[in-house]
Amino acid sequence: MRAARALVLGVLLLFALGPMYLLVKVSLSPPAEVMTAHPTLLPHGITWQHWQRVLGSGQLAAPLRKSLTVASGVALGALLLVAPAAYSLVQLPPRWRYGVLLGLFLCRMLPEVSLAMPIAVVFLRWGLLDTDVGLVLAHLTLVLPVTAWVLTTTFGTLPRDVEEAAALDGCGPLRTLVFIVLPLALPGLVVAALLAWLFSWEEFILATYLTLGEKTLPLQVYYYLYQGNWFVTAVAATVMTLPVLGLSALLQRYLRETPLAGVTR
Amino acid sequence: MRRRVLLGLAPLVLYLGALTLAPVVSTLVLSLRHPEGGWGLGAFRAIAGHYQFAEAVVNTLAITGISLALEFCLGLVAALSLAGRFRAQGVVRVLLLLPLGVPTIVAAAAMRYVFGTVGYLNELLYRLGLLSLPIDWTGSRGLALLTVAVADAWKVTPLVMLILLAGLQAIPREVYEAARTDGAGPWQQFVWITLPLLRPALTLALIVRGVDAFRIFALPLALVGRNLPVLSTYAYVEYLEYGNPYTAAASSTILLLLILFTVGAYLRLAGPEEVLR
Repeated sequence: MRAARALVLGVLLLFALGPMYLLVKVSLSPPAEVMTAHPTLLPHGITWQHWQRVLGSGQLAAPLRKSLTVASGVALGALLLVAPAAYSLVQLPPRWRYGVLLGLFLCRMLPEVSLAMPIAVVFLRWGLLDTDVGLVLAHLTLVLPVTAWVLTTTFGTLPRDVEEAAALDGCGPLRTLVFIVLPLALPGLVVAALLAWLFSWEEFILATYLTLGEKTLPLQVYYYLYQGNWFVTAVAATVMTLPVLGLSALLQRYLRETPLAGVTR
Repeated sequence: MRRRVLLGLAPLVLYLGALTLAPVVSTLVLSLRHPEGGWGLGAFRAIAGHYQFAEAVVNTLAITGISLALEFCLGLVAALSLAGRFRAQGVVRVLLLLPLGVPTIVAAAAMRYVFGTVGYLNELLYRLGLLSLPIDWTGSRGLALLTVAVADAWKVTPLVMLILLAGLQAIPREVYEAARTDGAGPWQQFVWITLPLLRPALTLALIVRGVDAFRIFALPLALVGRNLPVLSTYAYVEYLEYGNPYTAAASSTILLLLILFTVGAYLRLAGPEEVLR
């Protein structure tokens, strides 16, 4: 039984990690090791030439800046829009709350291509095409349902009697929110912001529709992929994955501290 | 009190109304408009006669079917192997979850190395003696569909695993103990206890993943290209390459209807209580 489990998990681990291993390996391999009829599975020589070439070319700086800005804007915007809504939502009677959550669930299911075309047409008119603000506004539409879901659960689990005690001690609603509720909800807020950030960081469809010249990082990786240089693609893709790994680790830590584990699917 | 609640909800609801519902409705309306004005099904008739659209429909359904089959088999096996306690459980869990965080376009890049003609899967099969000549994994339509489905399953199997793992942990131990006292073997326990009690988790995972698979976009585009249209990329190419918003809207609307039908069937089957738990 134990051996069977070890075998199954071993195969699954190979499947899960193999492609990521190849990505890093290709980015560090001498071309002769990869571009042959029989590439080597294990790394033999290691070279930083592809990394130097990509980072030295300066082609990655602008996409990196744009993606960082947009993702941070999306995380911030999601919190500002969703925190008050989620805080209000938990005060509604359950029937209404479930109705709104079901509506949000349905919003998450709509096809992006249906959204993207009218948004692109309107943004063209408003001069928002190819801007950071435009992409933040567009990405928010995809992120809001999930963050609302997370924060509603967070606020739903906060003990109400703490707020009532604060009110008895003469704390106004706004002061209660800022000094009592928000600190208690901090882990949930962090999870929501991280999810929004990660979602925007990798978003591809809306970025494709709303970008003319100034690419985001995913579009830059797609561009390299389209050109067909394996090494350059591998470097750019690895650069794009590094912050994701760091933030995912952070996310998992916060998830363990909050009763949210079931919500963030 | 009431007013404060409405005030808090208003920004979110207005935002989603303006930038989610309004665009989706306007795409729907556009698909029913004629370029010269008036209403009609002209755009739908146009794409119905377009062989690439027929291919897009079949490809979307095929990728969804293969990908769901793969990720549910793998996700269930992974969840069952992770349940219970064993050494290094935490590490294995984190490592198995890793693909979930990997950006889709990065997954596409990594899959190019796996499925390239001089890629690593061909090399692995060659070394195992299963292959003498390399296979062109994206050369024929059937293999290309399989490749895209495997790439999709690679990224999302961890999600299925997570949902099923939560479902497994919700099954009370006593049920298994009672079954064992009645003489049920491991296989009988799996078929008569685990699968039926896992049903809510399975349907939820099925619906979330099914809808995502219908909307697949980046993987077919980045792995195979225009030769493997799906509903999303068909709409994209019609609009941005051929400048035809009407046919793009019609294709988007077909996708929308497919999704609404699936979600509607699920809500009917499961009931809203099960959806929202």
